[in-house]
Amino acid sequence: MFKYTIKRLLQSLVTVLVVATIVFLLMRMLPTDYYFSEDQLMKLTEAQKQEQLAAAGLLDPIPEQLVRFYGQILRFDFGESRRIQSGVAVIEVIGSKFTISMKNGCIALVISLIVGVLLGILQTRHKDRLLDHIGTGYTIFVNAVPSLVSYSLVLVFGSKVLGLPSIYSSRRPEVSSILPIVCLALASIASYALWTRRYMVDELNKDYIKLARIKGMSSKTIMVKHVFKNAFVPLAQYIPASFLYTIGGSLLVERFFSVPGMGPLLTDSIIRYDVNVVQTLAIIYAALGIIGVFLGDILMMLLDPRIKLTGRGGTR
Amino acid sequence: MKKKSRVLALVLAAVVALTACGGQGGKGGDKSGELKDLYTFEVAQREMENVFILNTEMANDLNVLCNTQEGLLETDPKGQLAPAVAEKWETTDGGLTWTFNLRKGVKWVDVKGNEKADCTAQDWLTGLEWVMNSWKNEAKNTSMPTALIKGAGDYYNYTKDLKKEEAMALNADKGSKFQEMVGIEAPDDYTLVYHCTDNAPYFATVATSACLYPLSQALIDELGGTDKVRSANNEKLWYNGPYTLTSYIQGNEKILTKNKSYWDKDAKLFNTVTIKITEDTMAAYKLYETGELDHADLDESTVRKIADDKDNEFHDQLVEKLPRKYSYQMHWNYDKRNEDGSSDKNWNTAVANEAFRQSIYWGLDLTKYWSRTNYVNPLHCENVAYTMKGLLYTSDGTEYTKLVTDKIGLPESDGKSPRRYDKEKALAYKKQAMEELKAKGVTFPIEIDYYIIGGSQVAQDGATVLAETFAETLGDDYVKLKVDTYVSSNTKEVIEPRLQSFTINGWGADYGDPQNYLGQETYGEDGAYYSNNYSNINDAKDKELIATYKEFTKMVNKANKITDDMDKRYDAYAEAEAFMLNHALTVPANLEVALQLTHVNDYTKTNAMYGICNYKYKNWTTSAEAYTAEQYEKFAEEANK
Amino acid sequence: MKKNKDDLFKFVEYSPEAAERTGYSDYSYWGSVFQNFFKKKSAVVMSAIFFAIVIFSFIALHIGKFDFATLKTNQDNAFMTPNATYWFGTDNLGRDYWCQVWYAAQISIKLALIVALGECVLGVTIGCLWGYVRQLDRILTELYNVINNVPMIIYMTLISLLVGQSFTIMAISMIAFGWLTMARNVRNLVMMYRDREYNLASRCLGTPVWRVLLKNILPYLISIIILRLALSIPATIALESTLSYLSLGLGIDTPSLGILLRNARNNFLDHPHLLIFPAVIVSLITITFYLVGNAFSDAADPRNHV
Repeated sequence: MFKYTIKRLLQSLVTVLVVATIVFLLMRMLPTDYYFSEDQLMKLTEAQKQEQLAAAGLLDPIPEQLVRFYGQILRFDFGESRRIQSGVAVIEVIGSKFTISMKNGCIALVISLIVGVLLGILQTRHKDRLLDHIGTGYTIFVNAVPSLVSYSLVLVFGSKVLGLPSIYSSRRPEVSSILPIVCLALASIASYALWTRRYMVDELNKDYIKLARIKGMSSKTIMVKHVFKNAFVPLAQYIPASFLYTIGGSLLVERFFSVPGMGPLLTDSIIRYDVNVVQTLAIIYAALGIIGVFLGDILMMLLDPRIKLTGRGGTR
Repeated sequence: MKKKSRVLALVLAAVVALTACGGQGGKGGDKSGELKDLYTFEVAQREMENVFILNTEMANDLNVLCNTQEGLLETDPKGQLAPAVAEKWETTDGGLTWTFNLRKGVKWVDVKGNEKADCTAQDWLTGLEWVMNSWKNEAKNTSMPTALIKGAGDYYNYTKDLKKEEAMALNADKGSKFQEMVGIEAPDDYTLVYHCTDNAPYFATVATSACLYPLSQALIDELGGTDKVRSANNEKLWYNGPYTLTSYIQGNEKILTKNKSYWDKDAKLFNTVTIKITEDTMAAYKLYETGELDHADLDESTVRKIADDKDNEFHDQLVEKLPRKYSYQMHWNYDKRNEDGSSDKNWNTAVANEAFRQSIYWGLDLTKYWSRTNYVNPLHCENVAYTMKGLLYTSDGTEYTKLVTDKIGLPESDGKSPRRYDKEKALAYKKQAMEELKAKGVTFPIEIDYYIIGGSQVAQDGATVLAETFAETLGDDYVKLKVDTYVSSNTKEVIEPRLQSFTINGWGADYGDPQNYLGQETYGEDGAYYSNNYSNINDAKDKELIATYKEFTKMVNKANKITDDMDKRYDAYAEAEAFMLNHALTVPANLEVALQLTHVNDYTKTNAMYGICNYKYKNWTTSAEAYTAEQYEKFAEEANK
Repeated sequence: MKKNKDDLFKFVEYSPEAAERTGYSDYSYWGSVFQNFFKKKSAVVMSAIFFAIVIFSFIALHIGKFDFATLKTNQDNAFMTPNATYWFGTDNLGRDYWCQVWYAAQISIKLALIVALGECVLGVTIGCLWGYVRQLDRILTELYNVINNVPMIIYMTLISLLVGQSFTIMAISMIAFGWLTMARNVRNLVMMYRDREYNLASRCLGTPVWRVLLKNILPYLISIIILRLALSIPATIALESTLSYLSLGLGIDTPSLGILLRNARNNFLDHPHLLIFPAVIVSLITITFYLVGNAFSDAADPRNHV
């Protein structure tokens, strides 16, 4: 088991490095003019541009830059931001945003897990009755209505009817985070409910449940002790991944509510061509994604001793 | 079902509890009198990128930083120069040498407002050294000092050839290379002398620009050396302006807090100014509705809603902004390329033809286009000159652009139709152009490529309306406006590959002289911004066109030589400008006179056509109740007295 | 007794047709699929609605009073609610909304179908190889990890900057990043079925690989492929609207439902019709494919055919 973990981790490290390299190369496919803002482009002479680029080490041959880049990664030095917060270390730029995205993401995850799983259980218990249909209706609605529209609805309802702030404010982060969290949770509640119900219904049809019923076990005990426990295993696999995913911040939600999180940073830094920020973000996202899958496998194994993860990677 | 509602109830209760905890954290205050704290906004695209004033030329940054840093001079609501750190300034030799007398007791403070040092003349030397040192400032802000201050350009080249370490070790102390080379000196702590390269009667207006802002050597030392300055954030920098930047959350909000040590004790300042970042102006309007902002810009559909509905709560509060300092022009591209880099012969031949340009010059009724910005009074957006209205006045108080329009012979505005639009003239020119161009083998309709940013409905609507404006008078058989998009950068994706037929671009003055406008359009000169970047006139082939441009350039240079009599100077410039417009070398497009809802009296804001101080939150008159259109009319009357 | 023997048993003459008949059952795979599918009333109704939308979007453009290509702005008509001339009302520039909505619906549906089909072909092909050919597993897994873990926004931005924005570019790039999920699903299933006894037997008998994949394994995959296909269509529409919101979407002269929704989101409180019409169409398409996909994938599972 220990050996397996080490092997997986090393593999992941390689993948992260490959991703970083690819992003690094991709960003260098654009002409160097993209390093400058509109104003600068117009006002600088060609010679001045070349000087600035040379000073930032962007004119060196690509392999040389790449080697330097690896060296920096090893030292956890991600360089300085060029256009997001000029001159400030990337770690510092991302740091504060990371915390905000994480806070919101965690709360949203906990809420959606509790509400979603609860809803799924209720739907199963009341299968094919009103509550089940309401739950299914909700799932379909959330999936069917484009998120842009449903966020707009939440925004209008929240700000007009409940009087909640429609934009994130660092002076009162608690209140102003409510609407973004609701939006974040909206979709994942639906998917947790959907999968909980699906797995539980599958489980209910199994022979051992029938046996348990025949033995005279109360349906409550069956539900909690057997059905839910077993149904939760495949569900658990995705929890770490979605947890890590929420840390990455949601592009749409965060832009919508001006939350200074990680989501908008990605597009902003690409559009402003802030290479160091893009590279660092890509590394973070890749790492989160890979670790998420890995933790999911481990968690599943811990919950269900029948599952063994030896040999070939993962069950995903 | 029961359980679900219980869950819902719990969630709701939690929400309510949280709301209660948060309390009235937003803007509050009593309903009467002036605002103590100001809440304003900026759209996400224009978020600040740089907190170090010497290192930026972007309005996004300077609109914030002009509040935290103080320069030699500032500008007042009438657009005139006003003393800031310099109490007095003068030139005795026609603008060759300029002396500034600085006031005593100006302090540098840290972000918390603790006094750190005195602000003295030496700080301006350190600042200029920083700007002109190619390794320290990477060529930012160098263009104006290079052109105007003796030896500045040489110093830049000198540092460029040094090694990085050597250049970073330089400073502006007594006996330094900088003092030896550059025409700036500090005879004592409170006197500052600049030596200009040439007679520059307008040099004082440059003192309001970012390139001539001070920097304290003591700050550099405190930060731990030259190479630590650029990575210093707002909490480590020193301030000498009316506010300190106490909070800077990228992509969300910035908070400016009053600087208690600010030199101007009589100035009316807000306790704090909060600048929120919103996704777009629509989001800002929503915040205004809930009382979270003190002013809001309005898009066309919102203005329409408010203006057309008498019962709308904002109906009486729809007020016009003062024009922003940009004069928008249609700049032709005389050397247009196709996507593959080959020359677009059809367009280049057409645009070189004067009758073709004239037909568009006279044939565009832009009213609908303007009403995108100003639905109520579209004609307020009309622009008929090249230079920005209100930049300059002659000695008898005549506004400079009036000289220009008089020379062109445009009718006075009747308040109903645009001053320039003349259908008959346009059609006559169209006929002439078609004959002349057909002889040259041009195919009709001539395709006009116009680029806008992708993903923006506002830009797309504007372009749609513009395209129809072209078709309306001039006809589909003659020209066809084709709208294309770029993803993020107009310069990189469109201007540099020269794909556009024309661009509509605004120019805001760097200093108060027509040269700053007309000098951008001259033929064959390095400093001419539009000629080199947008119109590509220097690569045009048509002899007649080039002759016209050369004539224009001659007129501009002649005007620039007049430095003793300002009236004569302006008249000569007006002559050149009228010549340019009479030959339709550019087509004035619009001014930005948008509508807004506001708690701020715009007539008390700094309103300068040059410099960086227009967003300085100093001496603003505000009201807890939003201003009405009626009140604003009174303000306008008083201002125009 | 002896006498009767000949009467009771007699030789039947050999007839090839009759010999065939013994092994014959009237089971047909696709026949049963559709038979099962048509039992699900809701799915049938929804797919009928979907086809109606597609067909109607063509009719609608013809019966409408305005032609999309020659739409003119008219500021006096802005934000009209639906009426006799403007059946869906007008937009902020006073242009007919009816033809815009249907034109956009056509584009969006076209994009979604092309992308879904492309993803399906590419995903299934690669997924089969990935799962079946052991040597490819490591390479493809790495490829998957790499593509999947670089945020798509980076690719999309670079593509729109370097290549441009158009319907074709959009479709190709969406396929290029969308096949991953499908391939992953297929791969997992192929791996499950590859070493089943009947496949081993096939291989021993010298059946070529393509035949094993096509005849022995693929039928098991059809239900999952269809489910993914169905889910990919709404996903494409949603992705397209998100990209439009970020200005990375389709070119300027190709309106899509996503773009209409983006434009409407700001003033839908004052002018709900701008939001409702495109939103309803998007929702209908999504629900259709959700239900139809589920029903069809159930129906396509051979285990449910008994």
